[in-house]
Amino acid sequence: MYAETLNNAAVDGACALSEISPPVLTAASSAADPFKAARELAGTLHHPDLDRVVFFCSAEYNLPQLAEALNQVFSGVPLSGCTTAGELTPDGYACGSIVALGFHRNFFHLNAALIQPLDGFALAEAQQLINRLLQSDHPHRADWRHFALTLFDGLSSQEELVLAALDAALGSTPHFGGSAGDDIHLTNTHVFHDGAFHTQAAVVILVETSLPFDVFTTHHMQPLDSKLVVTEADPLTRRVSELNAEPAAEAYARLIGLTPEQLTPDIFALHPLAVKLGQDYYVRSIQRVNPDLSLDFYCAVGKGSVLTRMQPQAMLQDLETCLSDIESRIGQPLITLGCDCFLRRLESEQRGEREQTSAFLAKHRVIGFNTYGEHHAGLHVNQTFTGVVLGRGKVEKE
Amino acid sequence: MNAREQELQALKVENARLNKINQALIERVEAGSGLSSSPYASFEQAAALAEQVKARTAELTHLNEQLLQEISDRKRIEGWLLEAKQDAEQANLSKTRFLAAVSHDLLQPLNAARLFTSALEEQPLDTGLQHLVRSVSHSLADVEYLLSTLVDISKLDAGVIQPDLSVFTLRDLLDNLAAEYRQVARSERIEFCYVACSVPVQTDLHLLARILRNFLANAMRYTPPGGKVLLGCRRQSGVVVVQVLDTGPGIPEDKLGMIFQEFQRLEPNPANHRDQGLGLGLAIVDRMARMLKHPVSVRSCLQRGSMFSVTLPLAPEGQFPQLRTAVGTLPRLQLSGARIWVLDNDLSICEGMERLLHTWGCGVRTAQHAEGLDLLLSQERALPDVLVVDYHLSAGVSGLDLVQNLQQKTGVELPVLVITANHSHQLKAEVKQRGYQLLYKPVKPLRLRQLLVHLLKIASDR
Repeated sequence: MYAETLNNAAVDGACALSEISPPVLTAASSAADPFKAARELAGTLHHPDLDRVVFFCSAEYNLPQLAEALNQVFSGVPLSGCTTAGELTPDGYACGSIVALGFHRNFFHLNAALIQPLDGFALAEAQQLINRLLQSDHPHRADWRHFALTLFDGLSSQEELVLAALDAALGSTPHFGGSAGDDIHLTNTHVFHDGAFHTQAAVVILVETSLPFDVFTTHHMQPLDSKLVVTEADPLTRRVSELNAEPAAEAYARLIGLTPEQLTPDIFALHPLAVKLGQDYYVRSIQRVNPDLSLDFYCAVGKGSVLTRMQPQAMLQDLETCLSDIESRIGQPLITLGCDCFLRRLESEQRGEREQTSAFLAKHRVIGFNTYGEHHAGLHVNQTFTGVVLGRGKVEKE
Repeated sequence: MNAREQELQALKVENARLNKINQALIERVEAGSGLSSSPYASFEQAAALAEQVKARTAELTHLNEQLLQEISDRKRIEGWLLEAKQDAEQANLSKTRFLAAVSHDLLQPLNAARLFTSALEEQPLDTGLQHLVRSVSHSLADVEYLLSTLVDISKLDAGVIQPDLSVFTLRDLLDNLAAEYRQVARSERIEFCYVACSVPVQTDLHLLARILRNFLANAMRYTPPGGKVLLGCRRQSGVVVVQVLDTGPGIPEDKLGMIFQEFQRLEPNPANHRDQGLGLGLAIVDRMARMLKHPVSVRSCLQRGSMFSVTLPLAPEGQFPQLRTAVGTLPRLQLSGARIWVLDNDLSICEGMERLLHTWGCGVRTAQHAEGLDLLLSQERALPDVLVVDYHLSAGVSGLDLVQNLQQKTGVELPVLVITANHSHQLKAEVKQRGYQLLYKPVKPLRLRQLLVHLLKIASDR
């Protein structure tokens, strides 16, 4: 009799716990030591019902050690993630830190797969991979819906072809993602899958959820009149050697009233170029100036394409409009998983709006990272903000 | 010169540059959006695809919104229609209630007037006055007929009347009808033929009688003097068809469907001086036949005549006709000397009844309520031979209860005639169960007399 009462109390306690735990747990640590950081994350995220943990970490960490530490503390919980050019934490912008999301299995089921190597990944492979992810052992529920999250090695230069193949295989499943960064060092971008960091690789995560959600993309650019024609380019390395039949850096610098020596990532952030396809402009961001005055881009640019000079507008106003529009559709948001181009952070720093932007992101509970490129609906673009807003949905007792 | 050479040189460079731009653009344009495997081309294709998907999605979203709008419009209209239907049903119901109430209120005084005029007719009057009284009596009878027709149709519409099925021999009914209409035919100088048929049928005797009366009355109305009317039956597998044929003017083909609608009448035979009706007769027939599920049909040939028929089911095997004593065939007993008590809360009805029954030689006492009845009981030396009771006395008091009280007090089962305007099944069953006779308002003097005679005979047979 006494034992039975105890058991009941234990069961009741468990129920109460799972009822009060939110569908998504978030945690962040700015500890530089990988083991300390991992312990801090686990302290907050610890929960018996985690389906998967997705994390974004600075490339400053000793990555093999971080992998070891995370595997230890999250033993038994699948992990996915990538390195960043800055983290979006519950407190806004951060650098040199790690942020993580824990998904409650009553509301989510996440399946992940690694693509490695990236070259040669075509539609057939994409279809196999997506089918594998869809055939999960999770009991399928009729009212649960999918979206896909992609994380790429940001220096692989393979996003366009792989994303096009994935997009065809995903069909109508909403998709977004980001390319891993490394704080503008451009040497060391990784994705994490199955207990280890990988380069020349991508992670595809298929998220199934009972919560309402909206996958979105937004940018704050308006076209100007001036244009440049790409007259020489190497499509595989994303290197543009000539614009308007002149050394690319010279032509670009003249267009914005500077000299090639003055070109820095901050300048690239403030003076973006975009291609116009159909009615839309897609920003192609400049990564760096090479000694031969050629320009490397963060995404593919082809010979003969026309680059339009873009004028950034009020970034936060655009984001605010976008998010409130989504809220009007799916109700009160629970959390937003965001992929924010690192050039946008540079831009807000240049304009002295860093704190304001950081506070805005914290207020809207945006968790994610600063990217080297964003993915949306199979497209690889720059200087955008893309992500998924997860709604609270009905209060459901499971 | 030097300056011009420099200028020339600059232009050459510019020209080469433009050529190169031109060349790049040409290459780009010629590559088109073909199946190139370069990353940028792949991006372009994906963007074009995304653009198309966006456009299609916008189109579909628009279409979807339109459809949703249409659906909600339809739902709203459906709601309105439902409301309108409910309103209409409500209105119809209140119309029926109104008609029932009005007819009940009209029938009360009419009933009294009929009793008075009947009493007056029995008085020795000079010829002029007799003629006037008879005219009044006829007019009242017409009013009564019209009113009861209206009441009937509203009752049929309201579903108040329910068929009371029984098994009987068709001949029992047809013989009576034939006797009745042979008289009419004679006075209209119409030849009347009747072919008897003695199959047992299962139907509502009274409703069937009304249907056939209607056919016969119409036949008489539209057949000119010297013409012929035939009442006959035709037996077919499982059914029997009762037919009424006439040699009237016939019905034009385009009017055949119309005659069963309300207020539709053909020009009657002008030779028939006395013609009443609102054109409701066949409408009532149609409703009753539908309720009984007896198909009614009409065939007609212009200048030759018409045939109206109703098809009845034969009685199921093993069911035998109930032995009936048709009231109309009872021997006419003298009413004179009979002691009759009339219990009715309406004073004018009491007076009318008293006058009428007096003319038939009855001894009449009346009471309007329970106390009056008690008074009679204490004053009178003997109980009445027949008790005539209004079912609905003042609010909430049933004549049946008073009768029951009286019988309990006296310990004698009296012959009782219940008069009512309430056509409910429940009452009919209750009256039947107690062994009383039922007479509906407005009271027809002849019928009243027949029933009184019947009750007295049963009492004397005991």
